[in-house]
Amino acid sequence: MGKYILKRVLQFIPVFIGVTIILFAMKAIVPGDPISMITGGRSVPEQTRLQLEVENNMIYGNEKGQPIYDENGETIPVPIWEQYARYMDDLFHGDLGTSYSKKRPVTDIFAEKYPYTIQLAACAICLEAIMGIGAGLISAVKRYSFWDIMVTLVTSVLVAVPAFWLGMILQLIFGIWIKDLTGGAFSMPISGAGGPNSPYQDWMHYILPAFTLAAVSTAYTARIMRSQLLDVLNQDYIRTAKAKGLSRRSIIIHHALKNALIPVVTYIGIDFGAMMAGAILTETVFNWPGVGSEIYRAISSRDWPLVMGGVTIIIVVVMVINLLVDISYAFLDPRIRLGSKSEK
Amino acid sequence: MAEFLNKPVGRRAFVGGALATGVLAALAGCGQKGGTDTAAGSASAGGSASGGTLRYYINNPVCIEPFNLQEDQGTQVGFQLFDSLTQYNFEEGKLECLACESYDVNDDATEFTFHLKAAKFHDGTDVKAANWKYGWERIVNPNTNTESPSVIGYHLAMIEGYDALAAGEAEEMTGITCPDDSTLVVKLSYSYADFPYVASHPALAPIPDCAKEMSQTEFGLAPVGNGPFKMDGEWVDGQYINIVRFDDYYGDKAILDGVNFMIQKDVETAYKEFQAGNLDVSDVPVASLATAAEEYGTSEDGYTITPGHQFLNGTEPSTYYLTCNVVDGPFTDINLRHAVSMAINRQAICDTLFHGSRTPADNIVPPGIDGYEEGAWEFSKYDVDAAKAILDEYYPADADGNRGLELTITSNQDGGHKEVMDSIISDLAAVGITCVADTPDWATVLDRYQKLDYQFGRLGWVADYPIMDNFLYPLFYTGNGDNRAGYSNTAVDEALMAARSTVDDAERKAALQEVNKTIGQDMPVIPLMFYTHTAVGGANVATLYLDPQKKADLSKAQLVEA
Repeated sequence: MGKYILKRVLQFIPVFIGVTIILFAMKAIVPGDPISMITGGRSVPEQTRLQLEVENNMIYGNEKGQPIYDENGETIPVPIWEQYARYMDDLFHGDLGTSYSKKRPVTDIFAEKYPYTIQLAACAICLEAIMGIGAGLISAVKRYSFWDIMVTLVTSVLVAVPAFWLGMILQLIFGIWIKDLTGGAFSMPISGAGGPNSPYQDWMHYILPAFTLAAVSTAYTARIMRSQLLDVLNQDYIRTAKAKGLSRRSIIIHHALKNALIPVVTYIGIDFGAMMAGAILTETVFNWPGVGSEIYRAISSRDWPLVMGGVTIIIVVVMVINLLVDISYAFLDPRIRLGSKSEK
Repeated sequence: MAEFLNKPVGRRAFVGGALATGVLAALAGCGQKGGTDTAAGSASAGGSASGGTLRYYINNPVCIEPFNLQEDQGTQVGFQLFDSLTQYNFEEGKLECLACESYDVNDDATEFTFHLKAAKFHDGTDVKAANWKYGWERIVNPNTNTESPSVIGYHLAMIEGYDALAAGEAEEMTGITCPDDSTLVVKLSYSYADFPYVASHPALAPIPDCAKEMSQTEFGLAPVGNGPFKMDGEWVDGQYINIVRFDDYYGDKAILDGVNFMIQKDVETAYKEFQAGNLDVSDVPVASLATAAEEYGTSEDGYTITPGHQFLNGTEPSTYYLTCNVVDGPFTDINLRHAVSMAINRQAICDTLFHGSRTPADNIVPPGIDGYEEGAWEFSKYDVDAAKAILDEYYPADADGNRGLELTITSNQDGGHKEVMDSIISDLAAVGITCVADTPDWATVLDRYQKLDYQFGRLGWVADYPIMDNFLYPLFYTGNGDNRAGYSNTAVDEALMAARSTVDDAERKAALQEVNKTIGQDMPVIPLMFYTHTAVGGANVATLYLDPQKKADLSKAQLVEA
């Protein structure tokens, strides 16, 4: 088991290096002048321009950030491999560069944003687990009933509806229509994460974004739950349990549910990993100050350090979560462990 | 009931249920249409009152303190926190003193002496001449922030000692001296009579001594200034910035208790919040301009929000233009530039693509700038017959109607620019010019403009200071970084420099008007549109003035009594 985990961790390294090379190459081959992006397209004095080139590892400079010149009085460009080496060196020192548009360290920016993404993802996962498992359970237990049809209908609709559209409709209904209908007595916040001047309680800001983010996954969870439970309920050992005279409730809770839950929990785990990468659509629609909307903003303003830093962080987070899922598989399924042994 | 719900559903029941659902859905679709008629729009108009907090939309700013005060969102906040030496009064069309009592200028406009008003910073310390010197040098000195130096030091490039400080070879600018605590003397390295207008830029403000003990980030999140409002807590990135009235302000105290700048990611979300009554001032998305004007009533002067006249559409001192490569390629021919300019239907672009939120440009200098003359550029108008006449003379069509002209317009296609380019291409086709669009990404576009690797393209110019010089010198003086056309005319250069050293305001204005006309004849750029405001205020805003540069005069803003 220990060797399996070590092997998976070692696999992590070449994947990470490969991804950073791809990211770095993308930045290098994208045409255009990064200094123009920093200065917003306006011309700046030559001196400022050179300082910015030094700061962005384009030319060599001294420790004061001033350019170094060769014997012909020309600036000396930093070769691409050295730029990559500097980038990796900075990366291992926790320095992801400085945002073009915000003029602040990328690590600081994401350190501020991540708590919001984690909170939203946690709320969405709770909703997804409670509603998805509950709906799937009811649907399977009361197969072909009115409730089963309702769950099937609602999950079909939720799977089909794009998150950004659902979010906007919820904003319109709960933020504007209901406010009008009740004369302002009740409404839901349309955006943001509260703040001192918000007329709403802080927790209210989570409801609509969490529901939107959870919608599609809840539908999938319910469907997986239903099919798994039905599958398990048809197994021989359930028939044996019935023959033993156990009550239906006891069979479902003590014998069927545990086995049916395994793929559901795996799905929810992977989904949580995806949500930790920031829900770009949901966060953007609700102006949620998380990682997703920050990356959206960075892409729109072509803020390369912010995009690269964000993607690097997300890759690490997703890889770590995948690693944990893989390790959990090894715990759950002995065949994986045995497989790793036989490969030796 | 429960029994029925738990039973398997028969085919008939299923079809019945589906039909009933369909009918309900249809009924829901017939719901009230004017659902967006909101609290903001229906608040009763009463007498104005002092106090209250105004909720104001901004996009997440880059910087809210002078160090990098450049884009309009950060400037909106910084303008409330910091006062410059002067400010331009657009309503009266003249420059006024703000943080200075008065200023003197020498005969050749190379030395300016500002006599400062007694004032305090938000931390209670006195504003001294040394704070002004520090504040100005701070944006030029590369050692202020070696990680991310300021990109706006160019404002002060005309001051003596600028080059040495900017190169990191000096610790101060020799051209800025403080004979005493209330006198600031600025020596320029060349004559520039418009310098007091430069001094009106919100980034040219004093910085208190406490900033020297704070990190750049700390001061950037909670700046301490000399303006009518002070920070209430820190700027929470991507969420909000709160400011409150500064009671020790040296001028007229603000009427509002405070302002809550609500940061929204885009104008669409902001407008939705405004409609829900959660914002008092917002921008309006282009698609909603017509309905907003109708619903909220258009402002009487285009710049002031009052109940019932809440939609602003005043012209801004910014110009959207086509830049022509006059060094190489087809646009070296002045006749082609004239013909292309007259072939473009500017009014149609403004009306159809921008729903009237922009106005056709008749020269590079927009209205609202002192010295603007209507129709100053003879060829900046829509006249298809005249365009065809020029083309027939210099580019006669063959039997197939082909003039042998194949142009390429280089522009980024996001931000609505593609539609503008398409419209221009079809206008040019109407006079027999074949034109295709080349649409790389914005960084590449800028790179190609800089290297003059294009035929013609599009740019916008937003004035730093509301003066004619700020449109003419950066864009048309030989070799200037923003002169993307590569335009060079010795007569224009000489006339510009002569005008810059003319101390008398009226004479300088007349000289610049002449230069503007000369450039208009050469037409290195083709002005297309002037930008206009697209902001709206709630009915609870008793009065709020946004100057043409979009800077809100929040110190005089008032809310309606609840």
